[in-house]
Amino acid sequence: MDIVVEHVRKTFGSGDKSEVLALDDVSHRFGSQKITCLLGPSGCGKSTLIQIIGGIEDATSGRIRIEDPARSGGTTKLGAESVMMWQGLNLFPWRSVIDNVAFGPQMHGVGKAQRYARATELLASVGLRGFEQHMPAQLSGGMRQRVALARALIMERPIMLMDEPFGALDAQTKIVMQEELLRIFDRTKKTILFVTHAIEEAILLGDEVLVMTARPGRIKEIIKVDLPRPRGLDILGSPEFAALFDRAFHLIRDEVTRAMREQEEAVRA
Amino acid sequence: MMARRPSTLMIWAERILPALSVVLFVLAWEAMVWIREIPPIFLPAPSSIARYLWRMIADGSMEYHVLITFLRIMGGFLIAAVTGIALGVLMGMSRLVSRIADLWIAALYPLPKISLIPLLIIWLGTGESYKLVISAITAFFPIVMSTYSGIRQADSGLIKAARDLGANRRQVQWHVVLPCAIPSIFSGLQLGMGVTIILVVAAEMIGGSSQSGMGYLLISAGQVMETEKVFAALIVLAVMGAVIIKSQQWLDRKIAPWAASAQ
Ligand SMILES: Nc1ncnc2c1ncn2[C@@H]1O[C@H](COP(=O)(O)OP(=O)(O)O)[C@@H](O)[C@H]1O
Ligand SMILES: [Mg+2]
Repeated sequence: MDIVVEHVRKTFGSGDKSEVLALDDVSHRFGSQKITCLLGPSGCGKSTLIQIIGGIEDATSGRIRIEDPARSGGTTKLGAESVMMWQGLNLFPWRSVIDNVAFGPQMHGVGKAQRYARATELLASVGLRGFEQHMPAQLSGGMRQRVALARALIMERPIMLMDEPFGALDAQTKIVMQEELLRIFDRTKKTILFVTHAIEEAILLGDEVLVMTARPGRIKEIIKVDLPRPRGLDILGSPEFAALFDRAFHLIRDEVTRAMREQEEAVRA
Repeated sequence: MMARRPSTLMIWAERILPALSVVLFVLAWEAMVWIREIPPIFLPAPSSIARYLWRMIADGSMEYHVLITFLRIMGGFLIAAVTGIALGVLMGMSRLVSRIADLWIAALYPLPKISLIPLLIIWLGTGESYKLVISAITAFFPIVMSTYSGIRQADSGLIKAARDLGANRRQVQWHVVLPCAIPSIFSGLQLGMGVTIILVVAAEMIGGSSQSGMGYLLISAGQVMETEKVFAALIVLAVMGAVIIKSQQWLDRKIAPWAASAQ
């Protein structure tokens, strides 16, 4: 199930002064059963792009198709095949862990026994057995992350849209979660779009890394990551990894310095 | 950072001094009344207030007035809560309703509700309905406005997340927007409870036809200069108010424990 993005533009706000061009002419084919990482300085439109792909925001212009080879020439409605894991998680604070995970099935009318059984299974698979009745506020950051992951997984959508899901975690927890995601990917072969501003994370996880320009966001360069799978953290020490890191690092540094220079000029003007 | 560890002495002082200050105050009051020979009509001694209080409790009259006032407070509060939350929710969910209601609220909110008393007495007399209506009207406004703003300020991230997980419009309203508004609704209800207590007592003082309730007790004791009774009623009223407000806060935390940390 490829995601085909064609000439997508997005502006926020209207009226000449307050208008913000967030995305400018973004085109890309996101490969089926691949992890594609969106890498770019903050404010470059990564969240905007992933939300447009998820059918949560509308593009100002351009087209997005989800191509389903199983259906003859069929495309499906945006959002119907994907589920989002949010930057900031967006867990429902008034719902227990299990009711957060079971939210999607509940909205689709799945009975209580059935949705709880499935949610319990998924919670166990992400290492949260015994925490079903806890409230999100009672959990650590890493555990909340797992709840959000389970809440997305229960939807059984072929496409997972992940917006800096591990951004707020401490280094150790982050490593554990990255390995977990890699395991889930190797097992379920979902199509994953993964937004991050961490170069290391993008290369560790991705088959492809889209380096984006600072605002307005465009795709600056596509880095193919041919590191073998299944991947573990041991590849972080390999020379191939170092070379890819170096390339991405220079691209990002160019973008950040360019953005800073433009900002300075804007302030001076 | 260095946290200064409080000494054992300070810990004991913090525990004991508040209560001790009350005891000292009462003793000083008692002593002053006896020494200066202040007439009880002007300022009765705590001991004689206590005697009066005890007598009124023993003959059941205090309980009677407390119960009556309590029921009126609950009645006015419930009417205000149901109508206030209902209108607030409607306003939050319909632009048209909010546009219409906004105008009325803007016009009526600044009016001191107590100034409606003469009109209400003309229309309703001085019976129960007048007391319910004046307290309900007063409590209605903070409840509507808190409910409305709670709904308006519902977390857009949570709404988007719910939609992404397949919730339709109605499900979003019920499962996300409404729970998001709960902390705000509760704080509106607490404000509403506070003004309901004030207005019920005030209405009992002004419209005396039913001859019952704490407000009636206060005004009738005051008119015949039974100052001990006035003090006894004030003490009971203060305790009653505190108990109602504390129980409400306790209930709120019980119903929505997440809201306490969200506020
Ligand atoms: N709802 C919005 N209204 C106005 N501007 C927005 C909105 N959402 C995002 N933006 C702007 O669009 C740009 C891209 O935002 P975003 O996609 O969140 O960036 P990123 O996720 O890469 O940090 C930013 O400059 C941001 O200020
Ligand atoms: Mg973002």
